[in-house]
Amino acid sequence: MASFSLSRKASLALFFAAMTAVGLVTPAHRLIGVNQHMFLAANVLALNFCLGLGGQISLAQAAFAGMGAYASVLLHARFPGATLVIVPTVVLGVGLLAALVSRPMERLGEGFLAMATLCVSLVCVNVALTLEGVTGGAAGLMVERRLALPGVGELGGDRLTFFLFLLLLALGSYIFLALRDSRLGRALAACRDDRHAASSLGIDRPAVRAVSFGLGGGLSAAAGVVHGHYTGFISPEQFSLELSLKALLFLVIGGPGNLLRPILAALVLETAMGWLQFLGEARTLVNGLLLGAALLAGYWRVRR
Amino acid sequence: MLALYLAQIVNSGLALGAVYGLMALGFSLIYCASRLINFAQGELLLLGGLGIATLAGVMRLSPLVAVAAAALAGFLLGRALFATTLGLTLRASPLRQLMLTVAASLVFQGVAILAWGKNPLMPPRLLPLPDLRLGPLFFGRDTVTALALAFCAMAVLGVFLKYSRLGRALRATSQNAVAARLMGIDPVLCHALSFALAGALASLAALAVGPQTGLRYDMGLGLGLKGFAAATIGGYTSLPRVFLGGLALGLCEAALVLFLSGELKETATYALIIVLLVAAPAESEAERP
Repeated sequence: MASFSLSRKASLALFFAAMTAVGLVTPAHRLIGVNQHMFLAANVLALNFCLGLGGQISLAQAAFAGMGAYASVLLHARFPGATLVIVPTVVLGVGLLAALVSRPMERLGEGFLAMATLCVSLVCVNVALTLEGVTGGAAGLMVERRLALPGVGELGGDRLTFFLFLLLLALGSYIFLALRDSRLGRALAACRDDRHAASSLGIDRPAVRAVSFGLGGGLSAAAGVVHGHYTGFISPEQFSLELSLKALLFLVIGGPGNLLRPILAALVLETAMGWLQFLGEARTLVNGLLLGAALLAGYWRVRR
Repeated sequence: MLALYLAQIVNSGLALGAVYGLMALGFSLIYCASRLINFAQGELLLLGGLGIATLAGVMRLSPLVAVAAAALAGFLLGRALFATTLGLTLRASPLRQLMLTVAASLVFQGVAILAWGKNPLMPPRLLPLPDLRLGPLFFGRDTVTALALAFCAMAVLGVFLKYSRLGRALRATSQNAVAARLMGIDPVLCHALSFALAGALASLAALAVGPQTGLRYDMGLGLGLKGFAAATIGGYTSLPRVFLGGLALGLCEAALVLFLSGELKETATYALIIVLLVAAPAESEAERP
């Protein structure tokens, strides 16, 4: 058991060392594409809290990321320079909101929860489209303020953003592992494996799962904040259903509950799909085939 | 004036509602037989409709032939969908099966983009049905087509499920797969049949919705979702109730679109789905996937 946990730690260390190396070596203009994948990876990790720990599927991850981005950008426009206050408030607020949203949905089964959270996602996109006066509607919103820390200055640029995302991933991973090995994590695992048994053991299912849902929502919001200020332009399209679906796909490919595998799946497969730009119109088809193949490969590996 | 508004709501609501109803029937068939939510339902409609539109461009299709061809094309598409998703992963976790249908919907979309491009395609009206006026109500051609198609499809499906041996096997699998298997029914065959029937229904829905809104590569998800919502309203288990759920959703949407903007209408519809899902009776909890 000890050697297993050591190898887990070693692989974690290896992963973050490799990512740091990638961040230091890759030329800055190349990191533009990589940062998109990092944003997705952060969302995959966020979803892992809901699905991997609590066994709850969620397609609202993009909505939480979008809420984080819009809230932070709008607040920064009004109170420039208050990053230290705004970002924690936004992350906490979205996390709380996610927890609240998840409570009444807790008793829904897998497929129905997927549909309900998908509708949350669509409602958010449509609300952002409707409130043109505040959010700019479909045309989007220019982001004028960067994240800024007193004493450090503005946090922008490709390389710095990459490390911000990496920091976010590291923080998320730490919380994930700490939570998984805690009493709360075991309660979550019980809910995931047999919810009726968990209830009869006295676990307050909605409350316990609201925690994991809220943590996932908060992490997505944090990723959204970083992403929104980095790209300099936000629109509902960036936080559309596609992002949620992709996060879920990569998590299922990597296996929910595993920490590194889904993140790696997201980074590697997204990079591979990025290389397929030259295919033009055939891209959707090839993406679908690639994802289907990854899903089937995972299934056959597990069976064997 | 109000009467005119109401007639307009009924007309456009029923036209879309019948399509939602057909989609919901397909959804329920697959869901009941295999407890799988099929994300690629809308893409079945898309590909079926595009295929028939192309066929109609090549040769003259008489109405009956068009309906038969659409049903056959949808049947084969649904069977192909089964063979590439659930058929390969019968013992996988439901989540993986669900995600495979998502991947399949991407593949179908990709095929549609490659073969028909990204511009919306306006398929011809293949069923020459007249406008209809019933007292204060007015039904346009599209509405009459959609309703006629839907009712015929539902009647055929109902007779098939109720009286044929295969239909009874399908219903038995839906009610209790283990018991059905003990009676000598092949559950895999029934799963495949449910997919194929859902494909045929979606393809027929394409005949109805195509001339109304055109067919575009990205329309699948929205229609599939509406079908799911309608199936949820109808409760999955009874054909007429599921279909009525579709009509109710269509009428509700048509009423909303008169009072609210397009995006607000979508918001209201999706919020309604959430409320419905959360507020649905709890006793069926154990049976949900």
